[in-house]
Amino acid sequence: MKELIFKFKNLHWTLISLVFFISFVGIVMIYSASKAEGLNPTYSHISKLILGIFIMFSVAMMNINLFQKYAYILYFVGLFFLIYATFYGFVGKGARRWINIFGVNVQPSEIMKIVLILAIAKFFDEKKIQTFKEHLFIIFPILLIVLPFLIILKQPDLGTGLIILSLGFVIFFIVGVNIKFFILCFIIFLISSPILWNTLHQYQKQRLLTFFDPYKDPLGTGYHIIQSEIAIGSGGFFGKGWLKGTQSHLDYLPEKKTDFIFSMLGEEFGFMGTISIIGLFILVCLVGYIISNNPEKDFFSKVVGISIITNFFLSAALNMAMVMGLTPVVGIPLPLVSFGGSSLVMTFLGFGLILSSDLSHKINKTKY
Amino acid sequence: MLNKNIQDLRTFQKRTLILGMGKAFFSFVLISKLYYLQILNKSKFGKLSDTNRVKIRILYPERGVIYDSTGNKIAENRIDYQITILKEDKNKIKENIKKLSNFLSFSKEEKVFIEKNLKKNSLDDFIIVKKNLSWEELEIFEYYSYLFPYLSINKQKVRNYDNGLAFSHAIGYVGYSTKKKDSKLQELKIGKTGFEQKYNSLLQGKEGLQKIESHASGKIVRLLEAKKSKSGKNLDTYISKKLQEYCFKQLQGKSGSVVVMNVNSGGIVSLVSSPSFDINEFSYGIREDRWNLLINDPMKPLLNKSISGLYSPGSTFKLIVALLALNEIGFNPNQKFFCNGHLFLADHKFHCWKRKGHGLMDLSSAIEESCDCYFYNLANSIEIDKLAEISNIFSIGKKTGIDLPNELGGLMPNKKWKSEKKGDIWHLGETYNAVIGQGFTLSTPLQIATMISRIAAGKKIKPSILRKTQTFEKLNIPLEHLNFVRKSMYNVVNDYKGTAFSSKLKNNKYQMAGKTGTSQVRRISLQERESGVLENQELPYNLRDHSIFAGYAPFDNPRLAISVILEHHGSGSKFAAPFAKKVIDFALKKNIS
Repeated sequence: MKELIFKFKNLHWTLISLVFFISFVGIVMIYSASKAEGLNPTYSHISKLILGIFIMFSVAMMNINLFQKYAYILYFVGLFFLIYATFYGFVGKGARRWINIFGVNVQPSEIMKIVLILAIAKFFDEKKIQTFKEHLFIIFPILLIVLPFLIILKQPDLGTGLIILSLGFVIFFIVGVNIKFFILCFIIFLISSPILWNTLHQYQKQRLLTFFDPYKDPLGTGYHIIQSEIAIGSGGFFGKGWLKGTQSHLDYLPEKKTDFIFSMLGEEFGFMGTISIIGLFILVCLVGYIISNNPEKDFFSKVVGISIITNFFLSAALNMAMVMGLTPVVGIPLPLVSFGGSSLVMTFLGFGLILSSDLSHKINKTKY
Repeated sequence: MLNKNIQDLRTFQKRTLILGMGKAFFSFVLISKLYYLQILNKSKFGKLSDTNRVKIRILYPERGVIYDSTGNKIAENRIDYQITILKEDKNKIKENIKKLSNFLSFSKEEKVFIEKNLKKNSLDDFIIVKKNLSWEELEIFEYYSYLFPYLSINKQKVRNYDNGLAFSHAIGYVGYSTKKKDSKLQELKIGKTGFEQKYNSLLQGKEGLQKIESHASGKIVRLLEAKKSKSGKNLDTYISKKLQEYCFKQLQGKSGSVVVMNVNSGGIVSLVSSPSFDINEFSYGIREDRWNLLINDPMKPLLNKSISGLYSPGSTFKLIVALLALNEIGFNPNQKFFCNGHLFLADHKFHCWKRKGHGLMDLSSAIEESCDCYFYNLANSIEIDKLAEISNIFSIGKKTGIDLPNELGGLMPNKKWKSEKKGDIWHLGETYNAVIGQGFTLSTPLQIATMISRIAAGKKIKPSILRKTQTFEKLNIPLEHLNFVRKSMYNVVNDYKGTAFSSKLKNNKYQMAGKTGTSQVRRISLQERESGVLENQELPYNLRDHSIFAGYAPFDNPRLAISVILEHHGSGSKFAAPFAKKVIDFALKKNIS
């Protein structure tokens, strides 16, 4: 018990406060977004939030080495769920990506992001590539990335798939894989892009095309982007006020509870609101960097920390870019804010890992 | 090993720094785009967000009410209940109509109407799905309205005529505007004919609009603001609803016209053309089969015979000839001519309507008994150009200028006209025809009524439907000449020899003065004359003469002038005169003026 209180006291409360604050913004926005439906979505969100926070603290109390030890097992459990969801799961928003565990709908692709990070980090922590012969070992982590990527594409969920791929590249980059590798990948991408284009689903092609000219078909596929830009733009500097967004409350803005919640924030709280939330996200990233980039920490912790922060940042930034019309609409939620349990719980789990690595480090320091 | 680790650490730190810079750059791009959207283009997106949610519903103005002379409503407005839907999503509209047709029936015309409205580039964001809802239909819709969240009831004031048949020609009807400037107001109705057309700018009013907040699905959320429509001006007319309806009833089944006019004000008390059509039907939108029936009717119900029907004035024209004789050529009215039923001009035989002849006649008795031979004799000393001039003073051959569209001016021939139109000189024989109101001369019933008003009042009376104060200049004709003609007209009705004696008013308090006439529709051939002229009843309908009577009453203090034309009925004295008597009797008894 004493140990527990010690651990609890030594948690990184700055990071926790920031995460709580963003979560609070999420509650406020979901309340506004679901006003017409009553309070149920807000309660549901809060309950998932509580679950997420509980998981975050539980993970934070555990030793980070435990995760390194079981990283591959966790990876294969995640991969199993992912395959199960892809072939036997149920369809939501056009993709077969959900499974039901004890009455709770879970999206294994969200779990996959975290276990993938753990597995690759473990690989690079234990296998330092130094000789040419050892370079061939890189096949293994590539497989760790490509396998879930292809499965997720099959669902089909392009957004999550691309995040997994980018995450893979980011980890490869920070662990020090030779720059030539990235150049090679880029060339392969260029050569194979026509083939890749043909493997895309019709609606995915449509989305990509729409992204380049949303006004071509304003009532069809371009509708989401246009309405979202209108919502954000019409908010102006101060916004229309909480619960007063017309685009969102009159349903011109689609998916306002989930993927387009940032547009609603922009409409109701204006430039002040959007800048503040971006500021909060950047602060979380900075704090995450400071925690993870401690030179005294072990390599696994550092790689996991940076990767989780990058995952968090990528999701947030791609979501914002998507609703502002900077990237195609690919269905990425805004972490901690969007409605959706799997993403929320897994984001908290990620922060739990960072907190755990921080705590483990502090405990190690006091021991010696 | 340590070195290696340090180098790894350096690589890691370098690469995370690059990664961090990448994130910073990404953040910078995001913030720039937000600045672009929210600061630089705030007003543009603000407007777009308003056009998204704010829908316009046009409030069509209520047309001005048209009153008769005693304040009865001739044309008013009723509330039309309409089901409307936001114009945005065509599939949704189709779906709703399909669902709605389970409860309310849609005719083929209504479906075509919806299709048409969908294509129109109207200012109104709503289109009408169904209009003219009956109470029953309205109840059904209200009951099931929870099934139709996108449909809304709209109340529009639309034209309604208390008596759609009696006033059709005088008042006219309303219909959709085909003018370009009105193309954005698809439900706007304008006056298409008659009084409604003439005074449309006063009656129409100005449209207003409602700004309505709508949900993306098409549901109406709330009213944001409204600019009320401005009703049109109410207008008073001289028309007597009572007399108009009476005249219409009397004309039922006949083809013809009755015009009753106030001889002092020029006010049109009654203007009926028969057969008629229902202006309510026209104003709601007439069905095609009904329209075809009307335009193919040989009795021409759509033609306003009172102002656009052209007839030979017949013997009523003799009044003008008599005035010319007295006024211009200093003719002695006591001069007598003998009528033996016909006379010759060169070798052409001219007939009096009375084949046995009238015997010795003076000017007054020639008017009273309508002797044609007397006027043939007068014709010898009459210049056709002079006759045309004085005719114009009495509005024969000249538009009266009534405030109704499509009035015809008729025709009063003169030498210039003859040479221009017929390429021939004027012949004396044509003057013979002209003096008895036959031949080239054509006039409308309104012109004849105006002529009578001018004789009775001695002033240049101008007819008007709209009640307004007018002053009229005196006619440049000596009173004694006018009195002579008036007295002769009195005799026509009140002397036992007069052609309209049988139509003398029974009430001794008032006397009517008038003149009968028969307007020939065909030329009677020589051959026919020899074998005996056919009686009207023996002729096919469309060759029978028109029966005419024109007069005024009371004689001492003239108030009302009347002109009656009954098409293809026969002589004036037998049909039009008794008809006029009934109308005048009614009007005087009810004190209508």
